Amino acid sequence: MVKRHPVRKAVLWGCMTTISLAIMIAVGSRDLAHFDAALVAYTFATLFATFGITYRYTMWLQRPPTAMYWKRGWQMFFKPQRLLTNIRNLFTRTSSDFAANRFIWKRGKLRWLAHWFIMWGCIVAVAITFPLVFGWLHFASVPGSLDSYRAYLFGFALFDFPVDSIFAFLMFHGLVWSSFAVIFGVMLAMWRRMRDHGAASVQQFVEDILPLILLFAISVTGVMLTASYTWMRGYAFDFIAILHAITVIFTLLYMPFGKFFHIFQRPAQLGATFYKDAGATSEQAHCRRCGEAYSSRMHVEDLISVQKQLGFRYEVAGEVEHYQWICPPCRRAMFVLAQTKQWQGNFGDQMFSSMHEQPAAPRFGNPVISEGPLGHEDQANLHF
Amino acid sequence: MAQLPRSELEMIAAYGPHVAHAQGQRLEAGVEPDRLVKTHCCFCGQQCGIQLKVKDNTVIGFEPWYDFPFNQGMLCPKGVKRYLQGAHPDRLLTALERDPASSGGFRPIGYDAAIQRVAAEIGRIQAQYGNSAFGILSGASLTTEKTYLMGKFARMCLKTPYIDYNGRLCMVSAGAANKKSFGIDRAANAWDDMLHTDVVWISGANVAECAPITTSYVWRARENGAKIIVVDPRITPIARTCDLYLPIKPGRDIALFNGILHLMIKHDWLDHEFINNHTVGFEAVAEHVADWTPKRTAEVTGIAEKGIQQAAEWWGTAKTSFMTHARGIEHHTHGVQNVLGAISLVLASGRIGRPNCGYATITGQANGQGGREHGQKCDQLPGWRDLANPEHRQHIANIWDMPVEEMPQPGVDAYEIFRKIETGEIKGLLSLCFNPKVSLPDSDYVSAMLDKLEFYTSIDFFLNDSARHADIVLPGSLQEEDEGTVTQAEGRVIKINQAIECPGEARQDWRIIQDIAQALGRSKGFTFDGPRAIFEELRRASKGGVADYSGISYEKIEAQNGVFWPCPSDDHPGTPRLFEPHSWNPVAKGAGPFYFSDGKARFNVAPYTPPAEDVDAEYPLMLTTGRVISHFLSGTQTRRIGPLVDQYPEPRIELHPQLAMRLNIQDGDWVTAQTRRGEITLRAQVVRTIRPDTIFVPYHWAGQKSINRLTIAAQDPISKIPEYKVCAVRLVKATQAPAYASQLEPQQ
Amino acid sequence: MPEAQYEFFIDPSRCIGCQSCVQACSECDTHKGQAMIHLEFVNRHYSTQTAPVVCMHCDSPTCAEVCPADAIKKTPDGVVQTARKPRCIACNNCVLACPFGVPKMNSGAELMMKCDMCYDRTSIGKAPMCASVCPSGALYYGTREQIEAQRPRSMPVNQFQFGQQTISTKVHMMVPRTAQPEHIDVLSAMHDHTSGHDIFLMMHDE
Ligand code: HEM
Ligand code: SF4
Ligand code: SF4
Ligand code: SF4
Repeated sequence: MVKRHPVRKAVLWGCMTTISLAIMIAVGSRDLAHFDAALVAYTFATLFATFGITYRYTMWLQRPPTAMYWKRGWQMFFKPQRLLTNIRNLFTRTSSDFAANRFIWKRGKLRWLAHWFIMWGCIVAVAITFPLVFGWLHFASVPGSLDSYRAYLFGFALFDFPVDSIFAFLMFHGLVWSSFAVIFGVMLAMWRRMRDHGAASVQQFVEDILPLILLFAISVTGVMLTASYTWMRGYAFDFIAILHAITVIFTLLYMPFGKFFHIFQRPAQLGATFYKDAGATSEQAHCRRCGEAYSSRMHVEDLISVQKQLGFRYEVAGEVEHYQWICPPCRRAMFVLAQTKQWQGNFGDQMFSSMHEQPAAPRFGNPVISEGPLGHEDQANLHF
Repeated sequence: MAQLPRSELEMIAAYGPHVAHAQGQRLEAGVEPDRLVKTHCCFCGQQCGIQLKVKDNTVIGFEPWYDFPFNQGMLCPKGVKRYLQGAHPDRLLTALERDPASSGGFRPIGYDAAIQRVAAEIGRIQAQYGNSAFGILSGASLTTEKTYLMGKFARMCLKTPYIDYNGRLCMVSAGAANKKSFGIDRAANAWDDMLHTDVVWISGANVAECAPITTSYVWRARENGAKIIVVDPRITPIARTCDLYLPIKPGRDIALFNGILHLMIKHDWLDHEFINNHTVGFEAVAEHVADWTPKRTAEVTGIAEKGIQQAAEWWGTAKTSFMTHARGIEHHTHGVQNVLGAISLVLASGRIGRPNCGYATITGQANGQGGREHGQKCDQLPGWRDLANPEHRQHIANIWDMPVEEMPQPGVDAYEIFRKIETGEIKGLLSLCFNPKVSLPDSDYVSAMLDKLEFYTSIDFFLNDSARHADIVLPGSLQEEDEGTVTQAEGRVIKINQAIECPGEARQDWRIIQDIAQALGRSKGFTFDGPRAIFEELRRASKGGVADYSGISYEKIEAQNGVFWPCPSDDHPGTPRLFEPHSWNPVAKGAGPFYFSDGKARFNVAPYTPPAEDVDAEYPLMLTTGRVISHFLSGTQTRRIGPLVDQYPEPRIELHPQLAMRLNIQDGDWVTAQTRRGEITLRAQVVRTIRPDTIFVPYHWAGQKSINRLTIAAQDPISKIPEYKVCAVRLVKATQAPAYASQLEPQQ
Repeated sequence: MPEAQYEFFIDPSRCIGCQSCVQACSECDTHKGQAMIHLEFVNRHYSTQTAPVVCMHCDSPTCAEVCPADAIKKTPDGVVQTARKPRCIACNNCVLACPFGVPKMNSGAELMMKCDMCYDRTSIGKAPMCASVCPSGALYYGTREQIEAQRPRSMPVNQFQFGQQTISTKVHMMVPRTAQPEHIDVLSAMHDHTSGHDIFLMMHDE
């Protein structure tokens, strides 16, 4: 039923999150009492982005492979006998993969440096601006004290701090620091993209370059704002403010479509790891050609059902049942041997065949380069 | 000298072989090279065109050179990864002096001091024992300019008869047989003549692994309808799908050729007109092969009669054909006879000297062809001239401006040089581009002889396994650090271009030789300012000879993408196909296409003799040796290139499951092979692609893993090639892993 | 555009197992140091036959369809790209689903990597690394006219049958002209070990 109306479902979810956010803004800012009217454009862009991202996320979750993974990811996570390990893993993985980006480090040091700065720059910036924009966070001077400020969250007083403290300095210039981090990261990323022949051949402007330009523009205009009121007595402040607003709003509108969507999509990585953890300890699938184990039975069966939903017809008559029950190395061997068969009789060679003896899986000619840094997982799953 | 200055393990720790992998700029995807240098591969005789990416005086990678006609961008894995030999941690950057007190057995010394010491030792030995007490070993991977200079250095500077080269281990049997049959030693055709033939016959050539690019010619011929016949004791990759595979017993090739000729005569599959007009000696050969009935041939060769019949029919009835062979039939005590047998099949068919009719040996080393033409062979002078021929001597003496009576007489082959060390006739030795300790047979003997020398100096860019015995090691140049010409397998003269400068105190080899000459006070004739000047003299020296290079220039090579010799004048385009009807040559002078005064080719009776060491009850199996694709010769270079080592890390003993079952050996087990000369313990590779009475071991490794410690030093009486391809061996399952397994890395 | 006419043809029957392709693949700028091509001994015990497998660049790629993260994209010229780096969640679906067994999993980097037909080269008109160096012609990059002229016994097909599923691909495989098959039935090789000569058949028994 739901499957027949994926768009309706996505719109529904989109509306729900957007409305929820709107309500939270209203409530959190004490009926807009702390809401800065100048920021209304930002707010509407954010609401739009929220709708867009939720819409796309919902659409995405309804694709058969994603739905399968979504379902299985949670199932595997909440499996009672695994839950404790899973929670522990959740913490380690969140810190190593999300906070530290360890896996990007493995892809390349430069990539990692660039990404880590961009990511943390943005996270800090978002953590500061959004509560301010929505009026969830605001500062006021402490009544009766000229040199202290008081921070309010959702209208509740949080704490006081001296105006000239280091904390205050860091706090009020947080956006500057995050901008510097983003600018640094973006420049590294740009540099890599301009030099790396491999990246150059596959990158596209809208997909790969535009996001970098946007982050750069936001950060630079932001820093310029600070510079304008700190050192230039507000020179061109209004103009820069409009520029800044434009870049931010454009980025917010772009969020659901382009590369930034990965920020919301990436957590699925965790689901995948829980699924694989569970698979590794459960029953294995054995290749129906060579007999070797090559993956978890659950994964193969799930893939078979996903492929059916997608309209693939990999069913095979006879004992193989479904092509998915053949391990990847044997697929490669059969692919080549099927051609060899076509040529039988043309040259002097003959087939070595047997209905009784199971054919062996092929073996890499150069195990080091072919596996190389690729895959202990390939090794385990695919018996290389 | 008594022995190695330090233990083998200590020397390996200091000088390798260690493996290099791509790192730094070589691994980065964003590095823009300073330039691309068009040159050729530094390894095998096919000399594929390649472009080297150069950045900051380092070769950082390669780019295919699609326009070079022979390989059109194709390369084998060695060519792809050859760039890793440069900027290598094992590279010798200074001269070394033997010093047992140093941890690696050597201490660095200044280049000039090293040259002085070498010159002083040469001077001392020659003064004390005579000129011929100093010998030279040279190599066929050098540019032709260097090989020319080495010959001149021996004859003119050292005035020693004792120079020979490692081509002696390569294609000398083919060379000798070609001289006997055609009067000239060169592949008779460019490979293009293979493409539209009816039959391609490949005897004893592991084309896929030793001449990989030739594969594309063979397969293209097959697409055009050719039948491929492969004769080999192993089902090599090219044999896997060939049309007819004949699993010959090692060392029985001449029997097969005689048997085929027998059937050709019986069925009258002969070109009588060609035989009558262009050859002599057919009757004697016909008479000789009369006994070689299919039955007898089958018994001797171990090939089923039906295979012999089939091959004879295809070969006999073909309209066009290409006969090719390599070390498989040449590395024998009757290697010359084997090749003569192959040539008889070609001559009887009359299929030579015409389009799509070809014959060639597939030369193994980079300059296997050019290196055997210009005077580093013990009996030879530039231009394939004869050191024993007074006219030839005079011609070269004039070019060199030396009194002809001072020119030494012919010396002895490379292996005989070691026997002369044993008898004390030779006391000092200089080697360049030769690693005899790994590449000569019965190599424990060779290394004992190196230790017996009073003085040994080796020129190399890495400390090769023989150089470990040296008193002085001089740091030579990599191929990409020098320029010069090379003549590849087809007879095409091509140009190696310099990509980078020598690092540290390393010098181009020709400079080192000239510096020694100067330090000896005999610099006359050794003041060339570069390879181009050497080439100019070589052109003049070769003029009028069989291998006439006089019309070849560096510019012409570049303009034509190579020039086939003979090329006797500036306006001559070169000669891709030899023996064309009505072609002119300096020997026949118009009498006929072949290089004899009557212009006719010679049939030679080639009697069958069994290998020098046949199997018996004690040593019941045959051992044969050869190459694998990812390594080259003694492995001095390829065993230092990580990805090539990964591809084939260590030698294995290939044996048939039937044999394995008898000896209770499983794939991967340690097994010991023993011959009368030594034993070796390696892992077994049990495969059905080898005769059950034969085992195969590749020869690229040194020390405990060197199969040449087992091979026999028996040589062909004419060509002096050693019999690497067959000797008697026995096999036993090893009780435990050899000690080296835990001490050495695979390549060491 | 002249380069649009260049196509990739494979003929594993020619392969001699030299691994130039593997070595050259690891020189490719999009994945330097690692080889994406698969080169395997089919069954070395019986024969030297080797199987070179590159990405076939399916018209509707199974790998992309089963990807939960939408990480695998096809270029307008039909090249199925390696996983988009920010998206791939390393779930292994593509590795297990590709009918030709092509994608590889780079575990530490949490990233699927696969042959992208040397997009850094082919997108600017240069031949892929493997097909440039392959000395046997098992991997060939050229025009249809070239391949037809050079290989009179062969013809290209690009339809592969897996049970009931037909997959058509951008890369072609060479089959005999005499057979004129419409597709290659991959499962037909289910019980074959490998191919080659059998040494005994040609040996003279003493
Ligand atoms: C506010 C948060 C984030 C921002 C602004 C952000 C931004 C970016 C940008 C701009 C790129 C493209 C870099 C380039 O052009 O090379 C990128 C790539 C990427 N991001 Fe993020 N990101 C964020 C959070 C995350 C998180 C939490 C993860 C996952 C744990 C993640 C995973 C990735 C990955 C895997 C790539 C591809 C890196 C590569 O291999 O080149 N991102 N991100
Ligand atoms: S061959 Fe495999 S990896 Fe390549 S496009 Fe098809 S399904 Fe994807
Ligand atoms: S491994 Fe990556 S590319 Fe492959 S299916 Fe999973 S998410 Fe997609
Ligand atoms: S380069 Fe060609 S012949 Fe060599 S292994 Fe690869 S596909 Fe086979």
